[in-house]
Amino acid sequence: MADRYPPLRDYALIGDGRTAALVSRDGSVDWWCLPDLDSPSVFGAVLDADRGGRFALGPEGEAEACRRYRPDTNVLETTFTTATGRVRVTDAMTLPGRGLTPFRELARRVEGLDGRVPMRWRVEPRFGYGLAPTRIEPRTPFPVATSGGTAIAVCAWDAGRVDCDGVGIAGRFESRAGARVTIALSAAHGEPLVFPARADVEHRIDATAEFWRDWAARLAYTGAWRDAVVRSALALKLLVFAPSGAIVAAPTTSLPEAIGGERNWDYRFSWIRDASFTLESLLQLGCQAEANAFFWWFMHATQRTLPRLNVFYRLDGGTDAPERTLPLAGYRDSRPVRVGNGAADQLQLDTYGEFVDAVYHYVQTGHLLGRGTGRDIARIADFVCAHWREPDSGIWEVRSEPRHHTQSKAMCWVALDRAVRLARAGRVPAGHAARWAREAIAIRRFVDERCWSEAKRSYVWYAGAEHLDASLLLLAIMRYDQPDSPRLRTTIDALRRELAVGPLLARYTGDDGLAGGEGAFACCSFWLAEALAISGRRRDAERLMDDLIGLANDVGLYAEEVEPKTGAFLGNFPQGLVHLALISAAVAMQGATG
Amino acid sequence: MSVWGALAGGFVGTLVLTTALAAGSQLRVTRMDVPFLLGTAFTDDRMRARVVGYALHFLAGLAFALVYYAAFVVLGRAGWALGLAFGFVHALFSGTTLVNVLLPAVHPRMGTPSSAADSSPLLEAPGFMLLNYGRATPVLTILGHLAYGAIVGAFVAASAR
Repeated sequence: MADRYPPLRDYALIGDGRTAALVSRDGSVDWWCLPDLDSPSVFGAVLDADRGGRFALGPEGEAEACRRYRPDTNVLETTFTTATGRVRVTDAMTLPGRGLTPFRELARRVEGLDGRVPMRWRVEPRFGYGLAPTRIEPRTPFPVATSGGTAIAVCAWDAGRVDCDGVGIAGRFESRAGARVTIALSAAHGEPLVFPARADVEHRIDATAEFWRDWAARLAYTGAWRDAVVRSALALKLLVFAPSGAIVAAPTTSLPEAIGGERNWDYRFSWIRDASFTLESLLQLGCQAEANAFFWWFMHATQRTLPRLNVFYRLDGGTDAPERTLPLAGYRDSRPVRVGNGAADQLQLDTYGEFVDAVYHYVQTGHLLGRGTGRDIARIADFVCAHWREPDSGIWEVRSEPRHHTQSKAMCWVALDRAVRLARAGRVPAGHAARWAREAIAIRRFVDERCWSEAKRSYVWYAGAEHLDASLLLLAIMRYDQPDSPRLRTTIDALRRELAVGPLLARYTGDDGLAGGEGAFACCSFWLAEALAISGRRRDAERLMDDLIGLANDVGLYAEEVEPKTGAFLGNFPQGLVHLALISAAVAMQGATG
Repeated sequence: MSVWGALAGGFVGTLVLTTALAAGSQLRVTRMDVPFLLGTAFTDDRMRARVVGYALHFLAGLAFALVYYAAFVVLGRAGWALGLAFGFVHALFSGTTLVNVLLPAVHPRMGTPSSAADSSPLLEAPGFMLLNYGRATPVLTILGHLAYGAIVGAFVAASAR
């Protein structure tokens, strides 16, 4: 079973700002949704090795694979070494550029480096998560696979005789030193296919790499973890859905938080929490244009629900995402495979704090708020005043009964604190500012009296509990209090004591309404590094940061979770929140003392 | 019967035909996109192609309405039922000859059976009855043209009263 599903560590991501694909270490594209990040998959072998579909390309026999992204790009290079020679495969989701180009294009270039290497490739498209009827036909000039309004042309040059057998399109060839083979999948959705010329595909691969290099060169970070920060920024850019500006939490669904378990969720939505952190990261990295564009998506997407903020929004700005299960085997038998997300209906109060804080930082960095936006922020602050006393599902979207989560209450305080500051600065109507300040004091009293454990010398997961929760680190990061205040310092110590497994942190202790366990949450570990840095323990923070950077896979990506004992990745991959936390921690350390 | 009736019918009929094909595309039953096909003959910019293509499709719709009008005049009668019959013939002509054979022959970015190594066709050819764009495409095309014909016939008949 395990052999048919590569470890999640073995995947790399390529994308074009509209869709993205997972490429395994052995050269198989095992996940690709068409036409968009949140569309049904056409390659879904990562969720069902039999039915899901894939695009396999690699040496015929035993081979050792070594891979990297071309420096500062999202173009992947995998070098296979066999007993008879070496061959390099370059994978890119090309950017359209000028002229009539495919609607979406996944391009693969094979270059012989040494000797001769027998290669084989096979494209098995399975539309609609492997559940929709797929028709494969040998057409002129290229074979075509179709299903409903979506089609893929398999355009191969010098890739051997192309065989079409009704379930796949395949070929074999021998790679020789200096020779080049190109295979491009041209996809169309709701329109006729565009068949690219080989020279155009080759040009687009190089132009795409050039674009990414230029984009990465604009990033402002120059600190000690530059490579990791740039890789994180590049990964995040692949999670941004360019047509709307939304950012998905991860480009996959139902990669399990525990192998064989039920904690399998669809992350192909834009969480307001992630959007808030994204805006702050863009500002930290000096991406002013992107930050500006992102801010306007941010305000536009939430217009339909304001002052209430939905937990997440679809990439097209819609709010409904009914959860259903698919009859797929699941990654290593981890079922159910879900699409849609039931957390849409939850109340997660922390979102309001993260949202208003992002707006506050946006203004702090010299951007202007329109009058309408200022009024929207005031309405959000009023909403927080009216609702902070309610129990909620919290940042971890637990499926047990709603509780008075400490982090949610503290973020409500952050929302009101920032709203008051914005009102004082004249950016938000100040009519209700006195009420916001009063309620902020009431929240602080609630948190300090009901969410603190004298026994643990720590804030706790929720009011009245003795369980701890790693998201409490955000109280320091979001400046609920001074990070080196006695209470936050001892809370950080307690979290390290009770939740740390090596450099990693578990999310929490205690029940969350779901069966089974999970790995350590990678984002929490970066939050710890940041919290240590800003609370005056810079040396500890740097040591931890070095350890955490070492936990990335060979191309610098992180899944949602890491299994502490084995280092195996768990959960959806790559996860934006982890890369956002990495950037935030790295930037914080530049300015930290101690 | 008046030319103006035919032109008005041609305009409304093309509106309905274009909308039906666009709806079919949105409902994922076809990849037929007439404005895209027509417009890419003049520009390789996707958005501009669609704008140009819409304009051309409407012009073609008006031109065909005039052909229908001529036939109504020759037959000495008009009506939605006769228009329906014209629409059926029109659909068959489009699917078998106009879009299948003539468009690829004149479209600079579309391949034909005679395309060779010295050319690099960019656009997927429609195939017989436009079947390359999805199995439901012929049905949708015929239904759209039946509606177009019936509308032109009805408008021409109404203009005679």
